[in-house]
Amino acid sequence: MTVTPVFGEFLGPAGDHITAAVSFRGELPYDAQCGVVGQLDRLVATLARYLADLPDEPGLARRPERNAGTRNVAARLALGRAAQSLHHAAVGMADAGVGRVHPVVGHLSAAADYLAAGRDLLQTHFFVDPAGSRTDASYWAPVITSGPVTAALLAELADYARNLAPWIASQSGARRIGWGKLTSAQLALRSAEPWLQVAGTAIQAAQRAHYPLPARTLLAAIPANAPPPRQPPIPGEPVRELCERTPVTAERLRYAAFTLTNRARWPTTTSASWRRDALASAITSHSSELILRTLAERAGQLGLEADLQAQLHTAACGMAQAWKAWRAVTDWWDVITTGHPRGARPTPIAIEIGDLALPTGRLGYRNPHWAPAYGNASLIRDPAGLAEAPGDVITVLAAVHHAADAISRIATADHAAVLDAAGSQLYVPTRLLPENYDIPHPYAPAPRGYADALLAAYDTAIDATTHITTALDDLATAVDAPSSVLAAGRQASAAARHDQHRQQDQHWASPPHVLAPVPGRTEQALRKLQIRDPALLLRAAVIDQAAHDLVAEATAKAHSRDRVTRSISRSMPGIQRRAAGSPRTPADQPAGVASQDAPRAASRAAHQGPSQHARPDRPALQQCSHGPHSASHR
Amino acid sequence: MNEVPTASDLEARLRQASSLPEALDASFDAFEAIRRAARDCQDQVPELFAAFMMTADAAVDGREALTPAPSLPLTSGAEPSNAGAAPADASQVADALTALAAALRDRLTDAAVRADTPDDRAACQDAAEAAGRICQLMTR
Repeated sequence: MTVTPVFGEFLGPAGDHITAAVSFRGELPYDAQCGVVGQLDRLVATLARYLADLPDEPGLARRPERNAGTRNVAARLALGRAAQSLHHAAVGMADAGVGRVHPVVGHLSAAADYLAAGRDLLQTHFFVDPAGSRTDASYWAPVITSGPVTAALLAELADYARNLAPWIASQSGARRIGWGKLTSAQLALRSAEPWLQVAGTAIQAAQRAHYPLPARTLLAAIPANAPPPRQPPIPGEPVRELCERTPVTAERLRYAAFTLTNRARWPTTTSASWRRDALASAITSHSSELILRTLAERAGQLGLEADLQAQLHTAACGMAQAWKAWRAVTDWWDVITTGHPRGARPTPIAIEIGDLALPTGRLGYRNPHWAPAYGNASLIRDPAGLAEAPGDVITVLAAVHHAADAISRIATADHAAVLDAAGSQLYVPTRLLPENYDIPHPYAPAPRGYADALLAAYDTAIDATTHITTALDDLATAVDAPSSVLAAGRQASAAARHDQHRQQDQHWASPPHVLAPVPGRTEQALRKLQIRDPALLLRAAVIDQAAHDLVAEATAKAHSRDRVTRSISRSMPGIQRRAAGSPRTPADQPAGVASQDAPRAASRAAHQGPSQHARPDRPALQQCSHGPHSASHR
Repeated sequence: MNEVPTASDLEARLRQASSLPEALDASFDAFEAIRRAARDCQDQVPELFAAFMMTADAAVDGREALTPAPSLPLTSGAEPSNAGAAPADASQVADALTALAAALRDRLTDAAVRADTPDDRAACQDAAEAAGRICQLMTR
């Protein structure tokens, strides 16, 4: 069965290839050393790109979630330095024998390929506009930017760096040429190794400090943002195949729901599609109730935990509420319509949602050829026929969970579209209205009460569907069903959305700020002092980066104030005249304006003597914050 | 127990309709009667829930197909069609709906051939297709 690739299919092999590469303990021949440098160059550059993808914006307020860009600045700088060292050497070796045939080089090359492909997969979930702003392109996007998934990604990256660094160290001095000198490849490895070591430590520290609960399973389950191929149900399929088919159909519907919500609102959709969605939701939920009741009975027969039986029974009751709520929605669509425009086509959801109702019905009923027609009606399945072994209970439960989750997302999408239409595009056939309506047209605007009742029915259905989805989330998590990833994704996505709302005034999704490619003032000072300790050099680089960010933030704020001031001046001539006749004060200058935001205590402290500057625990940032000013006064 | 719509009355109206407006008028009422009967039955037998839900939906499709037809009268020429219905179980209702839907399908297919305007023709064709679906859904 063809399915969409998931991130784990790249993550796992990448780690395996790195492990295989670093398990080599021998002495690499020269051409293999060159090959290693070339592939490490690619690999480290890809790791750096992963880190650079994390949002990062100067001046961003503290956030519990996804502020990893700022938090990982040290790691990014260290990886950047490692990449620089390797890249210079790799470019020089481009025409030399690259030793691709050596197994170690092959492993590193494969790891770089897998990691690059995995990053591409994650990027499919975002749109990037020409200005560099990133927006969600799928319902997975908020999952990817959530704290737990960020944590898992950081943990993986840290592992890679920490695995590679000691091996590189062992290789960088292993072979000497002639007069005891190192080869150029070894020099490159020796130069990169400490930075990679520091990067690994910094990434791990950032992950542990800010993202304590990595969700590796969820990270690995992230699919490429492309719907899997459609798989129409085949009559006669056994339970296991029906259970395998349902998540695929559900994923296609989830994809379509996101697309419709974000790109194809009314008027391209008609009530016929919404009516069909509600109908299929009612039928699917009705079958799902039967399935859950049968599973509860089977759990008892198999002697499974009483808690599980109770939870299944409760879920069945919740599902009954859901299908009744959807039935009420279909009742309202019996009389309300958007009209029957020629050429209107059903939505992709309306076309395919039947693919969800059929396998669910075939799971619920005994007839393997079941269809929603009188002639295919059937008795409910025997419990043992639905789930022979305890593991089958979980498999079937996962299928029901996937179906409910898809219905939940479709409900949200349809409700939003119907809400849009409720203002002026809902009608009733004139023939269905009481005789005192004298309207010379086949359709009349839906009476206000009709539209309100329809929307209220949707609200009830969404509440019921949300309730049952949450119950199934808990159930799937409790039994570690394959569908528990849906629950984890929903939680992660909710946390990310909550955080995003809190930060909506700040453009967190702007392009990551550019890390200084060359050593800054502080780092240069250390290098002049012949300091080679990567830890010290990294601290210096962080200080330079912080100074760079501070100046960028202050400049942006000053420009913003200037624009506001000009705007006020234009609208208040009195101020304009006074400003025109007055000399410009230092506070009017951009830096002066920016400094007005600085805490006065900090300003006083800056004048209290050198002892205030020389605190060993926080010397860097304090000193660097004065650096640009002192430079400008020289 | 449910109520069988007066399928024979509706079938008679369909047969006796001598003009396109009369045929469309009777067809619209027949679809509406099928919808109501299916809704009445859908909760009676769990195993038939989906079948009757689908039937009601197909009846709405047929009714919606006819609504914009230029030749459809804006008001119904008859009383509500299930006023004199008799009690029946789900299987009897299904049989009655199958027969009525078959009559609808045939009458609308014929009307589509005879319709003068493209809009009337298209409406009849779409509605005939919906009636055919009801036949399939309700056939035991």
